[in-house]
Amino acid sequence: MTDYGHDLLFGTFTTPTVQPARQAVDLAVVADRAGLDLVTFQDHPYQPRFLDTWTLLSYVAARTERVHLSANVLNLPLRPPAVTARSAASLDLLSGGRFELGLGAGAFWDAIEAMGGRRLSPGQAITALEEAIQIIREVWAAEKPGGVRVDGEYYQVNGAKRGPAPAHDVNVWIGAYKPRMLRLVGRVADGWLPSLPYFQGGPADLVAMNERIDEAAAAAGREPTQIRRLLNISGEFAPTGRSLLNGPPEQWAEDLAGLTLEYGVSAFILMADDPATIELFAAEVAPATRQLVAEERARAGR
Amino acid sequence: MSGNYGHRLEFGTLVTPVNASPDTPVALARRSEALGYDLVTFADDPDQPAHLDTWTLLAWVAGRTDRIHLAANALTVPLRSPAVIARSAASLDLLSGGRLELALGTGSRDPDGLAAVAARGGARLDPRAAVDALGESIDVVRAVLDAGDPDPVRYDGEHHRLDGAPRGPLPAHHIPIWLGGTDPRLLRLVGAKADGWLATLDPADPDAVRTSNKIIDEAAGAAGRDPAEIRRLLNVSGRFSATRQGFLNGPAAGWVEDLLPLVVENGVGTIILTTDDVATMERFAREVAPALREAADRALPAPLPRTAQRGVAVRAKRRPGIAYDEVPASLADRAVEPGDVDYARVKSNYLRGGAPGLVLRPRTPAEVTDALNFARAHRHLPLGIRSGGHGISGRSTNDGGIVIDVGGINGIEVLDEDARLVRIGPGARWMDVAAALAPHGWALTSGDYGGVGVGGLATAGGVGWLARKHGLTIDHLRAVEMVLADGRVVRASETENADLFWAVRGAGANFGVVTAFEFEVDEVGPVGWAQFALDAGDPAGLLTRWGAAVEAAPRDLTSAIIMGPPRLGQPAVAQVMAMVDSDDPATIVAQLQPVADVAPGYDQQVVITPYASVMANASDAPHQAQGEPISRTGLIDHLTPEFAAAAARLLASGVVYFFHIRSIGGAVADIDPDAMAWSHRNVNFHVTAFGRHRARLDALWDGLLAEHLRGTYLSFETDLRPERLAEAFPPRTLARLRTLKERYDPDGLFRDNFAITPDTASRTTP
Repeated sequence: MTDYGHDLLFGTFTTPTVQPARQAVDLAVVADRAGLDLVTFQDHPYQPRFLDTWTLLSYVAARTERVHLSANVLNLPLRPPAVTARSAASLDLLSGGRFELGLGAGAFWDAIEAMGGRRLSPGQAITALEEAIQIIREVWAAEKPGGVRVDGEYYQVNGAKRGPAPAHDVNVWIGAYKPRMLRLVGRVADGWLPSLPYFQGGPADLVAMNERIDEAAAAAGREPTQIRRLLNISGEFAPTGRSLLNGPPEQWAEDLAGLTLEYGVSAFILMADDPATIELFAAEVAPATRQLVAEERARAGR
Repeated sequence: MSGNYGHRLEFGTLVTPVNASPDTPVALARRSEALGYDLVTFADDPDQPAHLDTWTLLAWVAGRTDRIHLAANALTVPLRSPAVIARSAASLDLLSGGRLELALGTGSRDPDGLAAVAARGGARLDPRAAVDALGESIDVVRAVLDAGDPDPVRYDGEHHRLDGAPRGPLPAHHIPIWLGGTDPRLLRLVGAKADGWLATLDPADPDAVRTSNKIIDEAAGAAGRDPAEIRRLLNVSGRFSATRQGFLNGPAAGWVEDLLPLVVENGVGTIILTTDDVATMERFAREVAPALREAADRALPAPLPRTAQRGVAVRAKRRPGIAYDEVPASLADRAVEPGDVDYARVKSNYLRGGAPGLVLRPRTPAEVTDALNFARAHRHLPLGIRSGGHGISGRSTNDGGIVIDVGGINGIEVLDEDARLVRIGPGARWMDVAAALAPHGWALTSGDYGGVGVGGLATAGGVGWLARKHGLTIDHLRAVEMVLADGRVVRASETENADLFWAVRGAGANFGVVTAFEFEVDEVGPVGWAQFALDAGDPAGLLTRWGAAVEAAPRDLTSAIIMGPPRLGQPAVAQVMAMVDSDDPATIVAQLQPVADVAPGYDQQVVITPYASVMANASDAPHQAQGEPISRTGLIDHLTPEFAAAAARLLASGVVYFFHIRSIGGAVADIDPDAMAWSHRNVNFHVTAFGRHRARLDALWDGLLAEHLRGTYLSFETDLRPERLAEAFPPRTLARLRTLKERYDPDGLFRDNFAITPDTASRTTP
């Protein structure tokens, strides 16, 4: 039983499909108007059936008013960190502090290499990710004296100017499953962003992974509560309950509240490509989940 | 050489992307748009922390503007992956509706630029290598954007290497690549490869443009290019003041005087005003730009054109036998040839992969006349007429010929509310028609798929979900306006050109291009819509029972059944769909029950919904079929046990992957068979089979099914043997059609969609 006590966030994970190009934009506007907290898009720059995620995020930010935006997660190997840092700060400034930085180490190395990117082993990619996060945070630290100097194994920045600083404290969320990545999350990230459908053992897999993150956080002198646990979820609305996240909205709320109270998840990002599902999630599931969690936390005196 | 290169004169702004007040550059971009500038650009310095990231800003500004084009000025390429630049550019072009232009540079506008690139983690390059790398980047960007090429990109450069990256996405328009800079190496690269050159004017030396142009033009010539292909864009800055104090420092008239030689003598096609001052921006837009345009038109032998000619790369992909340079001016802008970016969107149709040599896209009847005049001069080539590009027969595209695509003539307009008279363009799609009629409580029976275009279907027949209740689509037609083979625009109805009106309803593809249809539509409220998955373990029994149930059903009900080949280890399932034109649940259930009961069910779904929502079943994606459609089709009175047994054998062969029967009958049979060219009035079903092998499908169809059939519907037919025409039109009908063909299209311009031979015997000898 681990509840890290964060306020709950609800968001969407929408396919950034090229055809029709407006679909992802329209669904983001639906999410914004429905009062969701977060709109996210996967990032596979080697996939021509998807819009470029950075371009889409920037465009969508201009067409929405309130919702926060993130890649889910950004493909670091094809997006140089110093440019990413300034781009992220720029989008945060333009959007009035609505950008969060979901980052991934990269996975599909054949496709990355076909695009002209550099092939790394999984272990190398984790080191590269840590270097990149360091560069990004250094660039954002506009008030610090001197230029950015990070002489990493995979990324070298040698005296680049600092800044701009983002409009708000941009969260760095990392997509991770394997032990070394989870330790990296515990050491340096503001959040952990896995996908429930990838867990072979279902939500129970969260227990061991959370522990690994918490241990790494403690070893780095951080509180486990500094790391928000986010979760990509998929499900189906059905008149009667069938299984986890397959049933009526009230059942979804119970399922999600359970994930918060037992496994510490405080952000639910729904894979959805239709407006009706997004609106139902926002109108019925989100408030009911918040209420269940608030009641339980009050009962437990948290 | 110097002089003007014949480009349309355009104006842009160059705005500083400051991040201290991020709303400021956005507001300046919006102001540029409001003032009528063609283009807004933002600098992209390689290491300038006071600036916003330029790409992010461009995408943001795209989301806050509607019309103005956007570019970096210029994008620092060495800090980004060129393949990602390409996909990002296509994405922003799609999101913005074709407003993104690509200006690329090495980041070395100032001497520290290359060092700044390296400091931020980019490759450390000397000036020569930086230009070489930029040249490779152009190759990569163009290769990735060339989405029509199915082969992945392989590129083995010194600086960039791609190993099998898939191409695309396809941008919304041709994204020109301009290069920014003044280094002679870069100028030579411009001449060799780029679509434009972007530089900042040195006020002390306005003649530098001439020198640079000379280098570019020589390099273009050496690369076999016409220098006129390359647009010259110039960033300028200055001050408005009451009296003339120097170059671009004085009253507006002085600015015009200073800029005119750059346009007229040095061929500058785009003038980009560098300013963050709204007053300067406004004054330039109101007092300098129009006066300069006027002065340039006066000074030049001919006014500057609206669009540029197509470049060498596009011309290289032209097909033989087409007078591309003689395409009528009214059509030239929107014409698509194989080298154009839109080609991948228009070459193929729903079921056939095409490779036409030229696609003409008229928007008015007069432009259709122009297109047909052009086509008449190309009688040696195939001619396809396309509205929605959906016809099963696939006749709307070809290989190396001409396609006249009337998709842009797609208006839907109510002519008479009381008479329910509606005027519809051939390019409208039936889902759009259904959506437009729904608010009036109306519907017009069409086909069963919303993506089908009006033109092809409404000249052929129109067998749809309301057929048994409301007849064929053509039964609702009251008049057409059309362009004949000789280019004449005529109207046809029961009272005007009545014989033509008779022919158009069923054989329209042989007589002209309809530019407007006038229909009398029906009052149709919400309908019952059912989809059943039924056990097809006994296909013959299922077909006879389904056929009998449909024939016995009230006319409110129209149904279709879809079956496929045997699937190893899986139960045979038939999909049955039915529409009941009623909003009463009890009526709907009562009428559906006998149809649902023809076999045990696996799944069922019944809803009461608008007709328009049933039709809203197509995507907006362009058709991208490959290969040839292979189908056979025919009409039949009853699904007899003999026919059903033959159909079961056809299915068991595995040769047919999609077997489809739709109900007709009912109101369709109320019309006199002689009333219009569609004559098969009292059949009850329309049968279609799709296969993958022409010969095998033909052999089975001819051997098993043909004897049971009576007539055919050409829209679904892909067999080109001449007997099909005789099946489509009974002898009396065909004879009349041949006489009319002789009158309206004696030379057979319209011959690629089941040609009717003109009856030359009816030709009056002089």
